[in-house]
Amino acid sequence: MTAQAQETEHAVRDRHQLRTLAVAITTISAVLCAVAVTIVYAVPLNRLWFLHFPLGFYLLAQGLLIFAVVVTFWYVRVQERIDHTRSVNEEIV
Amino acid sequence: MTAQSRQRTPNPHLAAYYGIVAAAFVSLVILLAMAEQLGWSEGAIARFMILLPLALYLLMAGASRTLDVEDFFTSGRRVPQVYNAFVMAAITIGGTGFFAYTGAVFFLGFDALAIGLGWTCGLLLAAVLFVPYLRRAGAYTLPAFLGQRFRSRETRMAASALQVVPTALLLAAEIKIAAVVIAIFLPLSFWLAVLLVAIFVAATGILGGMRSLTWAGSAEFIAGAIGLAVPLIVASVLLTNLPAPQFTYGEMLGSLQGAETAAGMSPVEPGATAQALPQAMPTQAAKPFLQSFGAITESGFFTLFLCFALGTAALPSLLARSGVTSSVADQRRSTAWALALVALFVITAPSLAVFAKLLMFRDMALAPTDGLPAWLSTLSQWQLVQASDLNGDGTITAGELLIKRDGVALAVPILAKLPYVLTALMATAGLGIALAAAGSHLFTLGVSLADDIYGTLDRRPIALPRLMAAWAAMAACALAAAVFLFIAEVDVLRTAVTAFAFSAATFFPILLLALWWPRCTAWGALASLGTGFAVLFLAVTVGGLFGVAETAVGTTAASLVAAVLALGAGVGASLYGPAPAAFETAYYEAMRRPDGETLFDQAQTRAATAAARAAED
Repeated sequence: MTAQAQETEHAVRDRHQLRTLAVAITTISAVLCAVAVTIVYAVPLNRLWFLHFPLGFYLLAQGLLIFAVVVTFWYVRVQERIDHTRSVNEEIV
Repeated sequence: MTAQSRQRTPNPHLAAYYGIVAAAFVSLVILLAMAEQLGWSEGAIARFMILLPLALYLLMAGASRTLDVEDFFTSGRRVPQVYNAFVMAAITIGGTGFFAYTGAVFFLGFDALAIGLGWTCGLLLAAVLFVPYLRRAGAYTLPAFLGQRFRSRETRMAASALQVVPTALLLAAEIKIAAVVIAIFLPLSFWLAVLLVAIFVAATGILGGMRSLTWAGSAEFIAGAIGLAVPLIVASVLLTNLPAPQFTYGEMLGSLQGAETAAGMSPVEPGATAQALPQAMPTQAAKPFLQSFGAITESGFFTLFLCFALGTAALPSLLARSGVTSSVADQRRSTAWALALVALFVITAPSLAVFAKLLMFRDMALAPTDGLPAWLSTLSQWQLVQASDLNGDGTITAGELLIKRDGVALAVPILAKLPYVLTALMATAGLGIALAAAGSHLFTLGVSLADDIYGTLDRRPIALPRLMAAWAAMAACALAAAVFLFIAEVDVLRTAVTAFAFSAATFFPILLLALWWPRCTAWGALASLGTGFAVLFLAVTVGGLFGVAETAVGTTAASLVAAVLALGAGVGASLYGPAPAAFETAYYEAMRRPDGETLFDQAQTRAATAAARAAED
């Protein structure tokens, strides 16, 4: 492998790792922040009602879980695309 | 000559097989429901409902027996993503979740939601942070991965020794809850039930290792899902006219508040009860369901959530399944499916608790005019409920009704006056989930002791070849768990909290460093493992003298402190010591590649090729 090809491969690897890190931080922080905010505001939110449930209770019992499922499948899709891009770029190199 | 890598094609008939298993299970329920109408005794129905599925699981484990090392340790790395998700969900929830978590939601209502939320977010953390890279590494156990990552036998053995605590605690809790259910429904003493469960779990693991645990565990999960859904949907139709308990129990919350007030329940203050989480022994339900942060403060709620999230993400029994699917992408998707299944259970559990509480306290409010409800004698006979009119006013209030936390799920079909077969079905469901979880904990524990400690110490085993060592270790661990249950009083929920706390403190920091920080070294790994475990161990054992970690919330807070200290120790020791060797960096880079054969299998292939060349020469 030439030095230029090796350099390009390292650039592909670094870009992949950076994008992986970014999507991991986004996914985890979105869910953890949502949980933290809901816990902090659960009591005021419970004054509102949604589908016969107090809203704070609903979010902790169902809403955040549905959100976590949606975010996880979104993460899986995005990460697969990032991985695929790396594989294609490495083949080109 | 080069050694060929194995084909990773899953069995194309799996869906048909499991369709037949599910249909057989449903047919059994229908036949027993008909038999009940024909006058069969409750004992006979319970025996058929519990023993026939057990025989089926054992048959499936026997049919998937293997002597092949890769099949035994990783199920041939060809498990389809959804079937792996079934077993992962069963491990996360376990019999503890099925019986003790639903009971905790019954007693604490709002405040108990932290646990279920923690499990779900823990699987998210595992899917994002750990699972894909562990699949790429392909080690058979979590300690083996750490050993390969740092090329350190000491790290491997230390991790194996430290994973005994969380895994053995969960194993004991699962065996106990399964034995409690068996002792209620079969004419066996609790001790005989413990022995039966230990033998069953050991047999399932020994016959085919990860392979038999996967296929028997999938059937156990399917039985668990059907057994939870059917009684709950029937109860939902009876109470709300709609077959979707997760969404309809909101309509019952107003009635529940009325029933709670009539039973004399009033809002509680944090710290008013001796323990934040309800005890295993029969206890009065003191806290209104919807009261926010009554038994647990906001910070305690967040601590409990975070501890369960970190503990689930780093749970050795879950991560041991990271190498069983055919690719990194499959493993990631499999974890996402497991998360969806766990979320569905967690969404469902409050509906079960609300139905149980509403039916129980509504009937009790009618007792002065209608007499004591019929379910009281059945539940008292099973020692799930104790009622006594202490003040002699002719009514039984919430303070006079003592309810066993782990019996709430079993009580729902009886409270809703459903046919007995549905109570037995609920028991079989919980039993199936508990057995699937117990099998996986036993396998993780036994295989790690055999492969990571015995196998590392004795490089060329003379007395015990690899699989025989694993069999012996699993049998010994099952026996030890049974003996432990004979001599110790185990509260399954408290035990599970301690186990998840140890998992969070000991393994989360080192996995984060090993998988996301190339500068981490073997010294850093040892420092992180040792610090996390030692700090929490001290807090749990001698911390009680100073008021630390006395309660479940205290234990979870101590585990988070231990995890932060472990992270700091790992970073500090790695930076203070020599930089990682070139092979450690190369392993890290290779592990982060998303495609290709696992690193472990590549090494095996290289070794086989070298051996073949040597033989040719």
